[in-house]
Amino acid sequence: MHPAEYAALALITVAVTILCVGAGSVEITPIDAFMAIWNSVFGKTVSVSDESIRSIIVFVRLPRVLAVGIVGAALSLCGGAIQGLLRNPLADGSTLGVSSGASLGAVLALALGITLPDFPLGGTMVMSMIFAFLSLCLILFLSYRIDRSLSTNTMILMGVVFSMFANSSISLIIASVGEKARTITFWTMGSLAGSDYADVLVLALTLIVCGAALRSCTTELNAFAFGEDNARNVGVNVRRTKMTVMIATSVLIGVCVSAGGTIGFVGLVVPHMTRAITGPNHKKSLPFSMFFGAIFLMLCDLVSRVIASPKQIPVGVVTSFIGAVLFIYIFGKSRRMK
Amino acid sequence: MMKRIKLLTLTLVMALLIAALAGCADSPRGEQNNESITVTDMSGREVTLDAPAKRVVVINAADCEILYSIGAGDAVVGRGTYCNYPEEVNSVQIVPSEYQIDAENIIALEPDLVILGTMYNPDQNIPILEQARIKVIITSPATIEEVYTAIDLIGVVTGKSTEADVVIDSMKALFEDIKSKSKEANFAEKMVYFEISPLEYGLWTAGTGTFMDEFCSIIGINNAFSDVSGWAEISEEQVIERNPDYVVTTTMYSGEGQNPVEEILMRKAWQGIAAVRNKAVFNADSDKFSRPGPRLAEAAQQLFEFVADN
Repeated sequence: MHPAEYAALALITVAVTILCVGAGSVEITPIDAFMAIWNSVFGKTVSVSDESIRSIIVFVRLPRVLAVGIVGAALSLCGGAIQGLLRNPLADGSTLGVSSGASLGAVLALALGITLPDFPLGGTMVMSMIFAFLSLCLILFLSYRIDRSLSTNTMILMGVVFSMFANSSISLIIASVGEKARTITFWTMGSLAGSDYADVLVLALTLIVCGAALRSCTTELNAFAFGEDNARNVGVNVRRTKMTVMIATSVLIGVCVSAGGTIGFVGLVVPHMTRAITGPNHKKSLPFSMFFGAIFLMLCDLVSRVIASPKQIPVGVVTSFIGAVLFIYIFGKSRRMK
Repeated sequence: MMKRIKLLTLTLVMALLIAALAGCADSPRGEQNNESITVTDMSGREVTLDAPAKRVVVINAADCEILYSIGAGDAVVGRGTYCNYPEEVNSVQIVPSEYQIDAENIIALEPDLVILGTMYNPDQNIPILEQARIKVIITSPATIEEVYTAIDLIGVVTGKSTEADVVIDSMKALFEDIKSKSKEANFAEKMVYFEISPLEYGLWTAGTGTFMDEFCSIIGINNAFSDVSGWAEISEEQVIERNPDYVVTTTMYSGEGQNPVEEILMRKAWQGIAAVRNKAVFNADSDKFSRPGPRLAEAAQQLFEFVADN
């Protein structure tokens, strides 16, 4: 990808970030917002009246918007990679049931009180990752058993069924835990509100590591477009590529789900929109998806914070609405072009 | 001779029969029962009891507290799920009332009177209960004045009017006392924020029309969210912007992890708020502060003491 393109995208992303940080349930002028961040970065002390603005911008909005951006990028990246791997335009973390599986893992961690010492929420994160991976394996295994060619319909069907199973299990757990039910129920509604810089750091690190892993597979993913056998013939280590993509995506989805709950449609819609612009070359479409994903989710989060202010709608609701409409539009357009 | 005896016997028997019949006549109906009570409950229904209720089923926790405070605790034969104060009530049979109440459960306890709130499908349940000859009284106090009405009403139907008046008077006296002490102390410039639901579940506060807001008027302090009505969801940003001097949380401490006060004091984004800087955060008993019952005066007293000491 051309450096100029990267720079342009990065600039747009930063602009959207600033826009999102500037808006919320309390009116704050852009200048005040900017000054708040500026003062924080340079360690200047502020007057008491500006203290509240600083607190809001620096401790409430900025970490949240950053977390949202990273999750958006991560989910889109995973969606694009899974779609490339499975040669299935409808595949993504949420349609394949991986997100639901990750949620189940996190809920189990909450219900059983699994924690890592010194690592708040570490228990839910690890369980989410493990269960995300296991879900992906299970769904692929079941789909393979039913339909060796792993057709689109079969996989999506398996994904939907597994999602239902995972969600029912979550409901069952909620019904049987008694006191913790409230924490768990609230968790399942999914929200990146209350994210702090520690969360942002974990998300960022995970994205960098897994993103690098996926980036290294882009050539192989391009080869996959011709089918696994052809890819193998061309010299691609199919097994290794599969494992890398599956592990990287499940780790990334696991971390995103444990940070913000299930956020659907992002990994499905964004890669489609991206490919309409970049074409099918993964070397271009994956990085582009990341930027688009970040922008898309940040804007959805903005809507979720502002539309019913001061209440907050779970961001998953907004992405579902917007994503569904966009998806129908894209689908309809591509159909008509045929 | 036999004929005469027979005639005499017949006459005697007839006479006796007539006398007996006369004796069997009903005693005059509509005899004035001087114990009968007629009241208008808080939803406007007129209810008549033949005598002060001796067996009462009470559903709302607040009404339960009222009954015990006026000394009618012995009459309670059934309580709603959430009735947990005072201690003595825990030995009373529970009538499940989490979502709906089942009239069957109430009828099984053979009460004279049921005290209900407006929440439990009154239109459905009242006819059933009345058919079983159980009287139903509805209470729905939303302000402190209305709590006095409820106490008075419950006192009348249980024959404890005098005791009820005592409770009402002592509450009034306590509120007056708080009011005058607050005037001296002058909290007009100060602001208190009530947190009903903590950050992790979405912040809720008590706006106008709640008891906590009424306490604010009595104490003469500002409610941070006097622009919202009732129980409302708010955002963290708004709390930070309004910068309250005091925070009162009614979150219950579950026993594990941090207690609610610590949790609030540790919120990074809240460090600049006056209440957090001065560590003026108070964990209030949510039952005391939100039940429309006799402990409201105590709650106001606690709030006053917290504000005055900080």
